[in-house]
Amino acid sequence: MRVGATSVALPGLTMFKKVLIANRGEIAVRIIRTCREMGIQTVAVYSEVDKTALHVLEADEAVGLGSAEPNHSYLNIDRLLAAARKTGAEAIHPGYGFLAENPVFAERCRQDGVIFIGPPAQAIRDLGNKTVARTIMSRAGVPVIPGLHQTSEDLQVFSREAERLGYPIIIKAAAGGGGKGMRTVSDLSDLPEAFQSCRSEAEKAFGDGSLYLEKHLESPRHVEFQILADSFGNVVHLFERECSIQRRHQKIIEETPSPALTSDLRRQMGQAAVAAARASGYVNAGTVEFLLDRDGNFYFLEVNTRLQVEHPITEVTTGLDLVRCQLEIAAGQALTFRQEEIQPRGWAIECRIYAEDPEAQFLPSPGKILTLREPSGPGIRLDSGIRAGFEVPMEYDPILSKLIVYAENREAARQRMIRALENYVILGINTTIPFLLEVFKSAEFREGRTRTDFIDRHFEGWKPDRGKADLARIAFAAHDRCRVRTSTGEKASAPDRLSPWQTLGEWRL
Amino acid sequence: MAGRYELKIGDEVKTLEWLPGEGPDQARVRISEAEYSVRFQAVDDHQILLQVGGRTVQAFVAGGANGKYVFIEGGVYRVEELDQARKRKSRGGLDETPAEVTPPMPAVVVRLLVREGETVAKGQGLVVVTAMKMETTLKAPFDGVVKQIKTTLQAKVMPGDQLVEIEERKAS
Repeated sequence: MRVGATSVALPGLTMFKKVLIANRGEIAVRIIRTCREMGIQTVAVYSEVDKTALHVLEADEAVGLGSAEPNHSYLNIDRLLAAARKTGAEAIHPGYGFLAENPVFAERCRQDGVIFIGPPAQAIRDLGNKTVARTIMSRAGVPVIPGLHQTSEDLQVFSREAERLGYPIIIKAAAGGGGKGMRTVSDLSDLPEAFQSCRSEAEKAFGDGSLYLEKHLESPRHVEFQILADSFGNVVHLFERECSIQRRHQKIIEETPSPALTSDLRRQMGQAAVAAARASGYVNAGTVEFLLDRDGNFYFLEVNTRLQVEHPITEVTTGLDLVRCQLEIAAGQALTFRQEEIQPRGWAIECRIYAEDPEAQFLPSPGKILTLREPSGPGIRLDSGIRAGFEVPMEYDPILSKLIVYAENREAARQRMIRALENYVILGINTTIPFLLEVFKSAEFREGRTRTDFIDRHFEGWKPDRGKADLARIAFAAHDRCRVRTSTGEKASAPDRLSPWQTLGEWRL
Repeated sequence: MAGRYELKIGDEVKTLEWLPGEGPDQARVRISEAEYSVRFQAVDDHQILLQVGGRTVQAFVAGGANGKYVFIEGGVYRVEELDQARKRKSRGGLDETPAEVTPPMPAVVVRLLVREGETVAKGQGLVVVTAMKMETTLKAPFDGVVKQIKTTLQAKVMPGDQLVEIEERKAS
């Protein structure tokens, strides 16, 4: 059955009247929309450069936090709590990034009597430390990547373990994440150097230089499971998302279902994800990430204790609104559906649109959006944080929006994505749209051969296809002709603005 | 009304000749060896409906700092009109020096790696800037001595801004 019946806010059931969203951009907008549908008042927060950002325009109220510098605005716990107090918000949704996985913030909310919409601080803390998380998981019978379960400062411990596992191995920072503080080592002679440089990088980036070691898996897939857990011990999973296509360890394309899972493997991994949530005392929405090797073995990677960027693909295939679920769980309601009632349908793909220049090593590309036309149509969802005229600030993440398509099968979804991207016009800054288009058009993607080294293997040193350069030159000149005529008032002979009274002859429209 | 455009896309410069067509919304366009028959119609300030050969194309055009962005079916082309580029150069003169220490994108200065008077080698890091959580190190374009540091920590800087002036040391 379809699970449209996630609990209706029945009279007598508590629900927040007002929620503060401690974030910006597309995720803040997305959270505001569900709140509005549920009749919950919303409070946006903003920094100096975001005064007229989309999330501010869409919220019921907005509170300025300070300068663009994240520490003075979106990362400033004191100011966020003061804003909640001032506006009377009963709960705070952290979105993703910024303070979403900061146990101190969750704890401070609790102390201030504000509900943090996310897991308990202790779960965030435990799962944020990789060795603690590995220990919790292996005790619960969840397979972890072979390697050390404790950090060590002794190079001998590393070389012995590496010898036992066989090279290549990977050295990781216990406090690490996002691809930082990691070194792959393929030979004993490289170990001391990698150990030292990884430690100093981890100290700098996380203030904690403790390291451990794992077996390196050869071009694995990244497959994660969405989980939901309420405060009454009910835990379900909402199936998987395949997120293997990454650049600099950042996901750029996600899909569900995974082309790599059999129904048997899916059931096993789903059970492992639920066990992982139970073992860590998890409450609210979370994601259990796994690596899947070529032989179909899966290993626990980490738990993301927040709403994921790629959550919409799960929403469109399960029919659930994850933000609604999060709000209900945080308000103390129980899950109203059981595992066997959740039945995903069809195929969904998401891609992330970044303000980066794909022609110049993906350098950040902040600036003003001059023209914006967004794709629409059957099976298309766009979660966007931008508008025409908006100045995309240089201080934050380059994510502009997420384009999500849904169709009956993978190939139809892929074709729909190509069509939607071809209709997505963002001019004034550089975006990754032209690059994404070529990824979706590639034979490797079409055949589902998506592994974590996909981009390096198939799109290294990518240059855009200039096949339509002459058309672009013609458009430039035509635009110039139209403008010249408009500005000089030479109207009679000019192809003026399109009007319904003009005949188009044999034009195909 | 005929016209001529020197249009650069990437590294490729081509001359486009715009010749009158049969009607006011038509033209014949020559680019290198190729000739196209074109119908065109402005939809609004940024949108052009084109028919080139037998094919209908919606194009979007918007002005940027260095030329215009042209959108065709998901592809974005940065088109620079060379005439204009030459004018800009004669005003600023910056573009002609490949030796400038300038950020490739709008950014904030987070670290200064050298001091005035310091001798630097070609390729040595001078300034670290950050934008959208990504750091970029600007390097010395040649061997020389740091003559002047023209920026400060936390300064917002733009492409074209000279952050460090280096006096080149010629090989003797």
